[in-house]
Amino acid sequence: MARYLLTRLGQALVIVVLVTLITFVILHFLPGGAARAILGKEATLEQIAAFNHEMGYDRPLWEQYALYLQRLVHGDLGYSFQLNQSVAEAISQRLPKTMLLSLASTALAVVVAIPLGVVQAVRRNKWPDYTINALSLLAYATPIFFMGLMMIILFSQVWPVLPPEAPQGFTLGEVLADPAGLVLPTVTLAVLTVAVYSRYVRSSMVDNLNENYVRTARSKGLSEGRVIVGHTLRNGLFPVITLLGMYLPALFSGALVVERLFNYPGMGLLFWQSALKRDYPILLGVTLLISVATVLGALVADILYAAVDPRVRLKASRS
Amino acid sequence: MSLLRLVDLSTDIALRRGAVHALDHVNLEVRQGETLGVVGESGSGKTMTVLSVMGLLPPGGRVVGGQILFDGRDLLAMKPEELRRVRGVEMGMVFQDPLTSLNPTMRIGAQVAEPLRVHQGVGKAEARERAIEILRRVGMPRPEKIVDDYPHQLSGGMRQRVVIAMALIRSPRLLIADEPTTALDVTTQRQILELIDDLREEFKMAVILVTHDLGVIASRADRVAVMYAGRVVETATTEELFRAPRHRYTEALMHALPESAQGKLYSIPGLPPDLSRPLTGCRFAPRCRHATDACRTTDVQLVQAAEEHLYACLHPVTEPVAFAPRGAGEPREAAGSGTILSVRELVKEYDAGGKGRVSAVAGVSFEVKAGETLGIVGESGCGKSTVGRLVAGLEEPTGGQIVLDGTDIAGLDRRARRRMHREVQLMFQDSYAAMNPRMRIDGILTEPLEIQRVGDQAARRARVTRLLDQVGLPARALERYPHEFSGGQLQRIGLARSLALEPRLIVADEPVSALDVSIQAQVLNLMRDLQSELGLSYVFISHDLSVVDYMADRIAVMYLGKLVEIGPASQVVRAARHPYTQALIDAVPSPDPGHAPSPATAIRGELPSALNPPTGCRFRTRCPLAQEICATEPPLQGGPHQVACHFPLRPEAAVSAGAAPAGAG
Repeated sequence: MARYLLTRLGQALVIVVLVTLITFVILHFLPGGAARAILGKEATLEQIAAFNHEMGYDRPLWEQYALYLQRLVHGDLGYSFQLNQSVAEAISQRLPKTMLLSLASTALAVVVAIPLGVVQAVRRNKWPDYTINALSLLAYATPIFFMGLMMIILFSQVWPVLPPEAPQGFTLGEVLADPAGLVLPTVTLAVLTVAVYSRYVRSSMVDNLNENYVRTARSKGLSEGRVIVGHTLRNGLFPVITLLGMYLPALFSGALVVERLFNYPGMGLLFWQSALKRDYPILLGVTLLISVATVLGALVADILYAAVDPRVRLKASRS
Repeated sequence: MSLLRLVDLSTDIALRRGAVHALDHVNLEVRQGETLGVVGESGSGKTMTVLSVMGLLPPGGRVVGGQILFDGRDLLAMKPEELRRVRGVEMGMVFQDPLTSLNPTMRIGAQVAEPLRVHQGVGKAEARERAIEILRRVGMPRPEKIVDDYPHQLSGGMRQRVVIAMALIRSPRLLIADEPTTALDVTTQRQILELIDDLREEFKMAVILVTHDLGVIASRADRVAVMYAGRVVETATTEELFRAPRHRYTEALMHALPESAQGKLYSIPGLPPDLSRPLTGCRFAPRCRHATDACRTTDVQLVQAAEEHLYACLHPVTEPVAFAPRGAGEPREAAGSGTILSVRELVKEYDAGGKGRVSAVAGVSFEVKAGETLGIVGESGCGKSTVGRLVAGLEEPTGGQIVLDGTDIAGLDRRARRRMHREVQLMFQDSYAAMNPRMRIDGILTEPLEIQRVGDQAARRARVTRLLDQVGLPARALERYPHEFSGGQLQRIGLARSLALEPRLIVADEPVSALDVSIQAQVLNLMRDLQSELGLSYVFISHDLSVVDYMADRIAVMYLGKLVEIGPASQVVRAARHPYTQALIDAVPSPDPGHAPSPATAIRGELPSALNPPTGCRFRTRCPLAQEICATEPPLQGGPHQVACHFPLRPEAAVSAGAAPAGAG
């Protein structure tokens, strides 16, 4: 187990370094450049040259990259002139809020999607299955900004029970103090996730209900509920673990569209604004964070698998 | 007194349109303490019968008529909770495939004791104790440890013991075993069948034993019901049924067994009827060589032959069916001369990820002459399929030589290798899985010709049509896809594909083990006909000794990667020299009810791991004759009938005029 973790973490490190390299190169080939973005259209060529020299932007690319890596090793993610704060600070302000939103909506989605998927599998090709199927296809096909807009119109205009905007608090505590404002963004995000998850749960449960071990369980004279909850559910939920692992990066990156729509000051909004302003240090920092999260997500999913499925043993593969 | 009685039981499986009438007015009776054997081919309704009793019909399945009387009460009239209790407490069921019958994520103990917990409210600690107790009773080694294990940690035979323990923990009055040993090796099969027999006496249970294997029925059942196309066509005591079968289908089944072969196997022509259509007359009539117009038009009812003997046939059998006693096998015509394949000291090892090496094949040598069939037998994990794949050039050996027609195939360059594939072809067990489902038969058969650039399009077309003709399929089959064919037809197509390049050697890996007896006979006959017509050689790999005995000129027996015995077929089967071979032979259930294998040769325990195989003779850990010297490796020695054993069971028989021609030289 320890050896497995070491191997996997080693692999993860290589991937993360590659991601930083690719991001770094792509960002530097973007037109315009950082100097223009910061100094504005009026800046003279001399000013730009001076700025580039000061920032080290006139050095060869590989040298800049080496410097960037060197700072990274010391925990320095860089400094954003546009926000006038360090990248680490900018992220740490927004990350907790994004995680709050993502965790809440994922939890909601899982709690709703599993029973839905199970009901669909058990009542396969009957009306409950068809109804849920139609609804989840609809949810799946609806663009998320449209879904959000409909939510706002319905629940804060037509029937004004909820605020149309997310809480604007600066700290996590302030955000939590206004739970009503969190409802619409959370639900909007969850709807799509429910549609995806319930389909996975349904197909996995359908497969498992056809397995021989379920027939064995029935032959013991167990009630249908016990057959489904006691025997099939655990085996049927494995795909959800993979999905959750794949979802982990979103926990950090935030939901761009939803945060924008409800004006929620999270990672998504930060990334969106930085992209518009060509704030390279922030873009690099966020990309790095997400790539770390992606790699960790896959690892966490594998470890979870080993915890729930006795057949899976974690071994360091030799290839 | 009858414990279970089925009265006019009819079961339908709903299709998108219409329904399959899987059971049609089935009447059966099981008495307390007896074993009822239910025998029939796939689609005969034998499994549907027991699933109807257990209420485990597949989706769309429904009992549409009749009664299921258990101890006088009609199960079909019971409330669901009451029914669950009867099924969960008074009945127990053992399923065919032990590998998938257990919940992979639940501990053995929890699964075994679940009926007690649910129906009798037994506490957790007591349930565990009871689970250990019953596991011990079914012969599970170290039950205190196994109880906390998961299914994947156990072998197939051990898992089947777990399933049996699960059925027995409720002390059922009726045990239903649906093909309980079909997925297991013969030596394990013998252990499991003996276990069920012992437990039946101890628990005073009635047993329904469902199987396609007449041999299993003959040695284990008190009474037999023969089913065909959803109906019971004959019932009798076991002894009476095998002594004097009356129904023509029963007779045909017995004739189709390789054991009863006198010269050529009798094969039942055609296929079982489609049960979703209305049927009139005797359902076996279209395939019966004695059928008359009366058979096709009148609804044939069961009539009494003797007190315990009912049959539904207008032209019943009058003469008894003779099984060829072992030892009377007809010598095959002499094989041609010249060696086509020579395998020397073949070794194949696999890397086991840091834990060492798996020794799959360890120093195997044999030869195959032109026109000859070499049978390779052994249980799963003995390396017989690996040998087949190595010979066919699908895998690289770790060591040793494979000389095909004078050329060592190891040193070949790409072009010569492609050329080599013309000489040797494979035939698979599951031909459906071995064919691209999106290719039509004509594409499947033409592909080898295209790869080898044989002929032009017209020539290929002609060749493919001729191939189909050779394997007895109509030319319109070319336009169809694999899923449109039955198992037997697919096996014919598989054979046609192996023949496409006119190879000299075909490696057939379990070519008939997925087929019913009647279809198996068709395919075996076809293989033999083509062999004499085309002068082919076969390496015929199978776990089924009686099939190999029928097909092969010489037989090689493998155990855990080693060749333990090789010699002329009749001598290996009738005068085995290696204790393992003898155990294998005795474990095969004989369709002759008078035949009782001696308990002395039963081998116990499990196949050791090939990861760290025993030193010396690999069989010594399970051999009843093992001594200290067996820790040194015995060489394969002898004349045509060679054995690798320090204590061979008998000296080599003198080659008599009747014996098969000398093999290895």
